[in-house]
Amino acid sequence: MTIKVSGSPHITSPLTTRKIMARVCIALIPCVVAAVYLFGIYSLLIIAVSVGFAVLTEYLFNKVTHRPQTVQDLSAVVSGLIFGLSLPVSVPLYLVAVGAVFAILVVKMLFGGIGKNFANPAVTARIFVTLAWASAMGRFVSPLNYQNGFLNEFFKYCGYALTNTGVDAVTVATPLADNTVALLNLFLGNHGGCIGEVCALAIIAGGIYLIATRTIDFKIPLVMLATFALAILVFCGVDKVLPSLLTGAVLFGAFFMATDYSSSPNSFVSIIIYSAGIGLLTAIIRVYGSYPEGVSFSILLMNITAPLLDKFFVPRAFGKVKKSKEAVK
Amino acid sequence: MAFSFRGGVSPNPNKNTENCSIDLFPLPKTLCVPVSQHIGKPATACVAVGDTVVKGQLIAVADGNFSANIYSPATAVVSGFETLPLFNGNSCVHILLDVCNEQKPPLTLEPIADFDKDKIFKRVKDAGIVGMGGATFPTHIKLSPQKTVNTLIVNAAECEPYITCDYRVILEHTADVVEGAKLEAAALNVNNILIALTKVIGNDSGITVVRLKTKYPQGSEKQLIYALTRRVVPQGGLPSDIGVVVSNVQTVFAVCRAVRHGEPLVERVTTFSGNAAQNKGNFVVPVGTPVSTIMDFAKVSNAEKVISGGVMMGFALCDFGVTSGKGSSAFLFLTHDEINNSPISACINCGRCHRACPLSLMPMYIDGFAAAGELDAAKKYGALDCFECGCCAYVCPAKRPLVQSIRLAKKLLREKKH
Repeated sequence: MTIKVSGSPHITSPLTTRKIMARVCIALIPCVVAAVYLFGIYSLLIIAVSVGFAVLTEYLFNKVTHRPQTVQDLSAVVSGLIFGLSLPVSVPLYLVAVGAVFAILVVKMLFGGIGKNFANPAVTARIFVTLAWASAMGRFVSPLNYQNGFLNEFFKYCGYALTNTGVDAVTVATPLADNTVALLNLFLGNHGGCIGEVCALAIIAGGIYLIATRTIDFKIPLVMLATFALAILVFCGVDKVLPSLLTGAVLFGAFFMATDYSSSPNSFVSIIIYSAGIGLLTAIIRVYGSYPEGVSFSILLMNITAPLLDKFFVPRAFGKVKKSKEAVK
Repeated sequence: MAFSFRGGVSPNPNKNTENCSIDLFPLPKTLCVPVSQHIGKPATACVAVGDTVVKGQLIAVADGNFSANIYSPATAVVSGFETLPLFNGNSCVHILLDVCNEQKPPLTLEPIADFDKDKIFKRVKDAGIVGMGGATFPTHIKLSPQKTVNTLIVNAAECEPYITCDYRVILEHTADVVEGAKLEAAALNVNNILIALTKVIGNDSGITVVRLKTKYPQGSEKQLIYALTRRVVPQGGLPSDIGVVVSNVQTVFAVCRAVRHGEPLVERVTTFSGNAAQNKGNFVVPVGTPVSTIMDFAKVSNAEKVISGGVMMGFALCDFGVTSGKGSSAFLFLTHDEINNSPISACINCGRCHRACPLSLMPMYIDGFAAAGELDAAKKYGALDCFECGCCAYVCPAKRPLVQSIRLAKKLLREKKH
């Protein structure tokens, strides 16, 4: 009889890293479906290239550097999915490939692999391609599919008059913070934007799944969105709040990007400051900055502060007594 | 409403033996009674090789106040003394007893019929009663607090998976448990008695039965006190500092037996469980019963881990010569599928360990800093405050041995101090 001896505890929960990552993939399925429905089959190609290159990069990096293989934990799939979904449909595929390789190689693996990256790989890669291919990334393409698809029939059935913001044109000027687009259109993804970020319904469905399964901390999206909404309310007035929430990467960022484990802080106070910081910075960049979109910059900036926040805001241990002056004497 | 505390985890309760009524464990042929079955100084053996002792006869005398008497659990001949390992890896002198075939009637002390404070205190001390929840703190010290106490909590939370001995005791010996609680309360001069359970099974005048949320580590003394009274035991302090004394169900039961019936503490109810054991259940086990004897009795096969205590905080045994004692709540015989075999992977910084920690510590950082030898940082995130409940390692999706890291940090920090 062989006996194992080890320190306590002797049991562990069934949850593993792989299961967590699989849950995130499941939560992203509605976004992928919405992307393909709204922007056509090319968006599936973007996602496939992004995921493929992300996984391949991690696999090869581990091979070349003789490290234990880690692709089976599915974290590269998640990074690839999020990066792919945060691109507009007009990007060339080589851009997708370069971005995915950058995300995994530079941001993740060079800093030590899963859990060690100080910034969100997908967000950083998105910023990288935005700066490198400004014109390809700066165009927000309207969905191709809503003119003659199911959505249009649905709208007609419901008696909605579609506001044609660039149905004919392939590209439109950024509709960010543009209140003329009907809110319902925004909610269902019937507007220009990145392939995975336009359909609020799909994002919220995925987000609710992640919160219900306790995969992500609900405080991050809640505080971030609340701060963002409040800031927009103060800066632009009440009628801009909902359109701002439903356009751009705010929702997608709140549920899928800001909640990245390794680049977000852990203590209660840190989480509040971190999430509020992202919300506030996003609003400031949108309203006063020259970039139309500020979610990725805000997330990256707050990612960098995360370790510092956890260093400053260490929660007081239960039962720990503050040293009084008398005790010091 | 069920009472609770911050953090904690909900492992599969696996209380397979909760319907097994308490049975007598057959008296083994040999017993091996450790003189250290409590926190504090080991007792001093007061018998010689060749002596015949009977059940209830004093065989080791408490060494000072912070110690406890030890009595013989059977009629036996003292065959020798040997320094042997204890379940926790320490070692102490064990009194070896060859059990006689013919058992004489046990020796008892004079039963006490009233609630006299001093008599109860003296009896608890004489009978060698210690905390039977596992910590084995001498009970007479608990009954003589330095500060004024106004609440006595009887701890029947039994939050560790598998273990059901306390549940069976409170179910089958309810009257004795209640009487024991009243006796302890009398010794402490306390009116407020709470019996804390996860299932309410009765009520008694003068005693409040409170229902706890089923969660681990609900039975941890400081978490239990907080859940019920919202009082926080200061770190390094004792529950009596905030006017509370907590006693385990079986301790209270032992107090009743010692005071009302004059029986010293020589046996306790212990759970045998785990899928590798065929003969599971709750048994009255004499102190000094070797684990190998228990394994024969429980018909253990294919055990991959043998644990003294619970799966969350118990000790994995490598030597089956170690024996049961006053603090042995369970012996678990676990198969491959019941224990953690997962490979360790990198921390993903998910924060689950911090959220599960009942003390709000940050195990993910202690783990990293301990491995890097940065002890001051490990201390900052709470390494020295940890009481090793194991919630962090339980929830960790990367299956990191967080408790071991924290133990390492503690050890290195203590060495550095000296």
